Amino acid sequence: MSVSAHRGRGGFAALLMIATAALTVAVALAVSIGEMRIPLATVGLSATNHLGWTDAQISRIQDSVIWDLRLSRALVAALCGAGLAICGAILQSLLRNTLAEPYVLGVSAGASTGAVAVIILGVGAGTVSLSAGAFAGALAAFAFVALLSDGGRGGPDRTILAGVAAAQLFNALTAYVVTTSGNAQQARDVMFWLLGSFGGVRWPEFQLLAVVMLIGLVVCIWYAHALDAFTFGDDAAASMGIAVGRVRIVLFATTALITATIVSMVGSIGFVGLVVPHAVRFLIGPGHMRLLPACAVVGAVFMVLADIVSRSVMTQQTLPIGIVTALVGVPCFSLILYRARATA
Amino acid sequence: MHQPPRFILAALACLAAPATLWAEPTQYPLTLENCGVEITIEQAPQNAVALGQNSAEILLMLGLQDRLAASAFWPTKVLPELEEANAAVEILTVEQPTLEGILTKEPDFVAAQLPLLLGDDSKVAKRQDFADLGIPSYLSPGICNTRDDAGDIYGSRDQLWNMDLLYQEIDELSRIFDVADRGQALIADFRKREADLRARFDRDDDTTFLFWFSSPSAGEDAYLGGKNGASGFIADLLGGRNAITTEAEWPTVGWEGIIAADPTYIVAASLDRDRWDLDRADNKIAFLESDPSVSQMPAVQQGHILTMNGAAMNPTIRTIYGAEELARQLDALQGK
Repeated sequence: MSVSAHRGRGGFAALLMIATAALTVAVALAVSIGEMRIPLATVGLSATNHLGWTDAQISRIQDSVIWDLRLSRALVAALCGAGLAICGAILQSLLRNTLAEPYVLGVSAGASTGAVAVIILGVGAGTVSLSAGAFAGALAAFAFVALLSDGGRGGPDRTILAGVAAAQLFNALTAYVVTTSGNAQQARDVMFWLLGSFGGVRWPEFQLLAVVMLIGLVVCIWYAHALDAFTFGDDAAASMGIAVGRVRIVLFATTALITATIVSMVGSIGFVGLVVPHAVRFLIGPGHMRLLPACAVVGAVFMVLADIVSRSVMTQQTLPIGIVTALVGVPCFSLILYRARATA
Repeated sequence: MHQPPRFILAALACLAAPATLWAEPTQYPLTLENCGVEITIEQAPQNAVALGQNSAEILLMLGLQDRLAASAFWPTKVLPELEEANAAVEILTVEQPTLEGILTKEPDFVAAQLPLLLGDDSKVAKRQDFADLGIPSYLSPGICNTRDDAGDIYGSRDQLWNMDLLYQEIDELSRIFDVADRGQALIADFRKREADLRARFDRDDDTTFLFWFSSPSAGEDAYLGGKNGASGFIADLLGGRNAITTEAEWPTVGWEGIIAADPTYIVAASLDRDRWDLDRADNKIAFLESDPSVSQMPAVQQGHILTMNGAAMNPTIRTIYGAEELARQLDALQGK
């Protein structure tokens, strides 16, 4: 036990260093690769111009592509990857379920209902953006789960069941609205919108997401030790002096807030939140003080790379990011299932 | 059908045409109100990008292929008469393009057909993206009007669609490019063709048309053209009305409901895309004639099945072409 913990600590430092370096490289790649052929030197100068280090002449369009499109997109992708991975890790521990992921609390289904309400029912009559509608829907679904699972006090199984019920309810609501008042094209747009895409993000999205993530990360790290206790069960956690109910609802709310923000911005992107925590736990062990930061960096790298792939596979067109993450995620998921079977 | 108004209208149109062909050259900077945004055009665009087939086809009809750098989003094939002009213009993608791909063309003007391609909720581009770069952008006035009226992007219409907003778009685009005379000529041509069709068919509210866009598979609920959309407008031009009375733009209706609607004519749309078997008009007709219950419909029994390019069912310049396609078949059915 102590040997593996020791190896875990060394692994943690190494993993964090490698992953941070990889993140830097990935973002640099993301900023350099794209449909517009821009020399690397120009990319570098654009970056240093914006940092105030140089004052080189760059065409306005190229500069805007590098700074406003590629960089903001890469950083939003990084934050989304980090956020989803952290939420996945927390929910897996809180619910003591290997298959838990960020959408287990029904926020994705809620977001689709919110988006449909705006697209088809015209809620807000053009003044409320799709994102705001999706965000409201996501939080409504979470509120429903919180209510049904008695604020998380009902135990992990009850929360998961409440999440399933919420997903069913909100998906049914979405389907009801689409079939009664919508049409094929609208349904397709809703699906496209929810499939996940970084196409619409710019700096304002980054700023909002950065604030949410910062708050979320602080809360999660604050409760990292409590999370460790949760993995041994509620009674064990309570016997260690942890206010089980309060901690659980705070962490549920935090993950719901992070996930809702991400879903409302870029749609639901699967498998990152499921796979990354398992992979990281496998490498550095289950201690949350290390697991959470490592998940954040690994998730960020994974998402930035996935976005580069999604932008590069087809010319002039972007493969939905969910397809890329799932194509990588499903084999990993299968492996986890296989291992689970082998140990059972 | 009675004939006299036809040649009178044609003669009137001929008289009117030369007067409208003359139009003022555009004074730059030109300022327009477009979908709630004020746009200023400093000079006639020389390197424009068209997002959406209808925007591209309008610009091609105005003879502006030399000033089009690229186009994108083509759900159907180009109108045959524009094929040659269009061959000279690069197509970024027939699907939704990326903003970076658009900017690669360094456009000095962007015209878009749908908020899906240009707007705050678009994953492609926001108007501010172009405004920040000093590139004026233009969104089809037809679509933003729908949203204002109906409270949603495509949703439903409480009034029958007509070509007025399309004429406004042609007029504005032609002035932006300083080819107002061509714009007026094009509008005059469309107006004349509209009037010709109206003159040709007597108003008869008992004549109803069912517009079948497609179905995922035989027997499944069909995607139809709604009452007040472009399909309803075509039915109206041909003297009848849409057999479907729901205000949704693209209602999905089961065959029992279609049989109950009992249309006089069934329009089987022919789609260029090849997603489903029933995208093809001949497959639609085969289903209509072979299904045990559907084949008993009076329209099928009497051979009142017409075909039309599905592009006409979208509220675009293609709508009038669809109406003319049907008019020719109606004439043939009535032995004219």
